[in-house]
Amino acid sequence: MTAGRTPQVGDEMPALTRTVSQEQIAAYAEASGDRNPIHLDPEFARGVGLPGTIAHGFLEMAILAEAVARWAGGYERVAELGCRFSKPLLPGEAITCTGRVVAVDPVSGALTLQLEATSSRGERVLTNGRAVVRPDD
Amino acid sequence: MPDPSHIGRRYVAPGQLISPERVAAYASAVSGDDPTFSSGSVPPAFAAGYCVQPTLAEMFADPELGIELAGLIHAEQSFEWPVPVRPGDVVDAAAEVTSVEARRGLTFVTVGLEATNQAGETVCRGRTLLLTRSAAR
Repeated sequence: MTAGRTPQVGDEMPALTRTVSQEQIAAYAEASGDRNPIHLDPEFARGVGLPGTIAHGFLEMAILAEAVARWAGGYERVAELGCRFSKPLLPGEAITCTGRVVAVDPVSGALTLQLEATSSRGERVLTNGRAVVRPDD
Repeated sequence: MPDPSHIGRRYVAPGQLISPERVAAYASAVSGDDPTFSSGSVPPAFAAGYCVQPTLAEMFADPELGIELAGLIHAEQSFEWPVPVRPGDVVDAAAEVTSVEARRGLTFVTVGLEATNQAGETVCRGRTLLLTRSAAR
């Protein structure tokens, strides 16, 4: 956030874009413990009707959380986060997370952001995104 | 196949250690080697690792609930973090089936999540919406 200025409704969060490789998906599976084969085994994924392996929704959500935390000034500022996993993100695609302030609590100073994420294929992969950012202590 | 008689089923994963090594592996899997944030904080989305994954693993292993991983879609996710989780915390996580609805050939399963730290403080609350295909037609 811009130092020395109170965030206002309409302020944009800087976009965060990251290309997600199959290698990153595999690292995420190990780190999170979610080794569902739809993320790791292309043959299994095709067998359940997917075009191939897909990124974990939680990996996309973690990148969205990182975008909010970078703008807000740290992980601990993120008080709430939610989204809908609308379309899958495929390995090799980039995800771009965007957001803007839609409410500022006049008492606490907490900020509500509306968020979404699109893939480099042009799909809206995360929709109905919403975060609440805690005010500075 | 989940049905409304399963509402209230609870799955627990006590004693999840938020080890600095697990946190570092998670942060690296999401953000690469970018050391943007201090090592004293935990990415909020790591709730996927200490709260969601271990409790839902129990849920997916419940033969009476009978969730088929092959047709499972993670549709929505939301979290609140009333108190930030910190490296070294030991967290008890729990998941509870709060709603099961069959609509248009799909079964919508809503799961409520909660994690408390060693001081009894709630560090995470969440809601997971899963879709499973109903019986083959």
